Amino acid sequence: MRGTTIRQSIRTHNQLGRSTSPSSRLRRLKMNIPWLIMFTPVALFFIIFKYAPMAGLVIAFKNYTVYEGVWGSQWVGLDNFRMLFRDPSAISTIRNTLTLSLLSMFVSFPFPIMLAIFLNEVRKLWFKKTVQTLVYLPHFLSWVIVSGMVITLFSQESGIVNHLLEKLTGATYPFLYKEGSWITVFVASGIWKSAGFAAIIYLASLTTIDPSLYEAACMDGAGKMRQIWHITLPGIRPTIVLMLILNMGHVLEVGFDQVFTLQNSAVAAVSEVISTYMYRVGLQGFQFGLTTAMGLFESVVAFILVVLTNMIARKFNQGLW
Amino acid sequence: MKATRGERWFYAVNYLLLTLAGLSCLLPIVNVAAMSISGDEAVISGAVSLWPVDPTFSSYTMLFKGSSILKSFMNSVTLTVVGVALSLLFTVLAAYPLSKRGFYARKPLTLAIVFTMLFSGGLIPTYLVINSLGLINSYGAIWLPALVSVYNMLIMKTYFENMPEEMEEAARIDGCGEISFILKILLPLSLPMLATIALFYGVGFWNAFMSVLIYINDTDKYNLTVNVQNMIRSQSLIATLTTLRQEDLDMIAPEGIKSAGIMVMIIPLIIVYPFLQKYFVKGAMIGAIKG
Repeated sequence: MRGTTIRQSIRTHNQLGRSTSPSSRLRRLKMNIPWLIMFTPVALFFIIFKYAPMAGLVIAFKNYTVYEGVWGSQWVGLDNFRMLFRDPSAISTIRNTLTLSLLSMFVSFPFPIMLAIFLNEVRKLWFKKTVQTLVYLPHFLSWVIVSGMVITLFSQESGIVNHLLEKLTGATYPFLYKEGSWITVFVASGIWKSAGFAAIIYLASLTTIDPSLYEAACMDGAGKMRQIWHITLPGIRPTIVLMLILNMGHVLEVGFDQVFTLQNSAVAAVSEVISTYMYRVGLQGFQFGLTTAMGLFESVVAFILVVLTNMIARKFNQGLW
Repeated sequence: MKATRGERWFYAVNYLLLTLAGLSCLLPIVNVAAMSISGDEAVISGAVSLWPVDPTFSSYTMLFKGSSILKSFMNSVTLTVVGVALSLLFTVLAAYPLSKRGFYARKPLTLAIVFTMLFSGGLIPTYLVINSLGLINSYGAIWLPALVSVYNMLIMKTYFENMPEEMEEAARIDGCGEISFILKILLPLSLPMLATIALFYGVGFWNAFMSVLIYINDTDKYNLTVNVQNMIRSQSLIATLTTLRQEDLDMIAPEGIKSAGIMVMIIPLIIVYPFLQKYFVKGAMIGAIKG
């Protein structure tokens, strides 16, 4: 009983702001002073490091020069965008980004789901724990380590993969220097790094399935595969849809670290993506206006995709907001 | 219940596939570890698989003598420790007021913060801001733009909101001020969540690559990721090992040194991995339930 009264008194305490009497307004102001002091540095952080760069996007419409600065530079309208979309190297950059991200997304999507379902069927706890410990590990390694290992493993002279290949077929293959095999290695290394950890979300979702469903199916003579098909997969369908939607926002995003650490000049035609383009042409080539236009294009497309996918998600009652 | 024939097949295949998945994560690391402690001839010929051949630590001695790896290791530690402390402080400063229902403009401020998750100025404008603040070539350029991760802030905010309100009321009745409530009651009770978020930030700073590559020009200030990346990438690794004598250089297998460099980055992670796994899995679950 006492708990309820206190809770009610707190509720009124917390709703003080909504009442209009002068004394309660004063009390709310007093409560807010320490909070406002705390929040000031945070507000400064967001203004300086998040919103000021957004304002800086205006240089996408300017001929930026270092001497004239962001605000002094000449307006050029859409010239940067015109230049960008007429430049074959920029177009191929966008195409590469789409190819790599869509391939990574769709090829790697089923792996965490399968991993979670397999792990869920394991009876021996020590085995499950061991496998989980091993497959989560790559998530914590930086791309420098992962790519370093990939380069070492696939090295044509000293890599173990080519060493085995030579024993079997008598010839070695330059995996990282041919476009097709480079893309394969790129996608596979992404799966290797992220599939284990991504399975956690599906594992959590699997625990919500009612075990009695399996018992009933078993009584009816359903085998393991049928149980997975008719109970497990429908049971985690909401999570699968949600993850698919969340992924859509990243269509124009290929992480800088992964591409940068894996790419080499032999495969430049397929490995140059938006993030590495902005680094090379923008920061190293000082083409600030042009690459900001590219960045703005990327941000706007990503934003539209997130909003769109959320609208679709709402249709399935799974919207994020 | 006795397993049927079909079930036995299912379990056999299941255990086999999972064993393969587990091994695929373990074996590459074992291979690199074996290469880092193998003799140079075996490394060059590609004869090293999972067990070191002619075991020797010469790759490591060369690495530590000939390059600035120790310096960059210390830089990584500095970057991580200071970065985590600053980010935790700022995340609490953001999450606590936003978790209060009476806070002025709580909704618009939360919206303004979440908006930065969906839309950003991007690489070049951010670089120009950092440049105009004079942060280029200082670690401020790494720490300051990463002070608050919106995702971590939302986890913390939700955690604070779910704290029982009676607790705060009781503390207030006992004359506890805002600061002492946060320091003596709220934060000690949030330790598991704080540990999770500290590890999220910690892994981010330890693995920081792009920001260091962009903002730090001075090779003395490079962290491990950038230093090891340069080592892996250099066409003539020998050129980066400037302080070694010629007779030392003659007996170097570049792949051995590279493997040793990779191991220097992996070993600290493996040491803290038990904690990482425990808290990260929890953190990923929070994200899953929220999302």
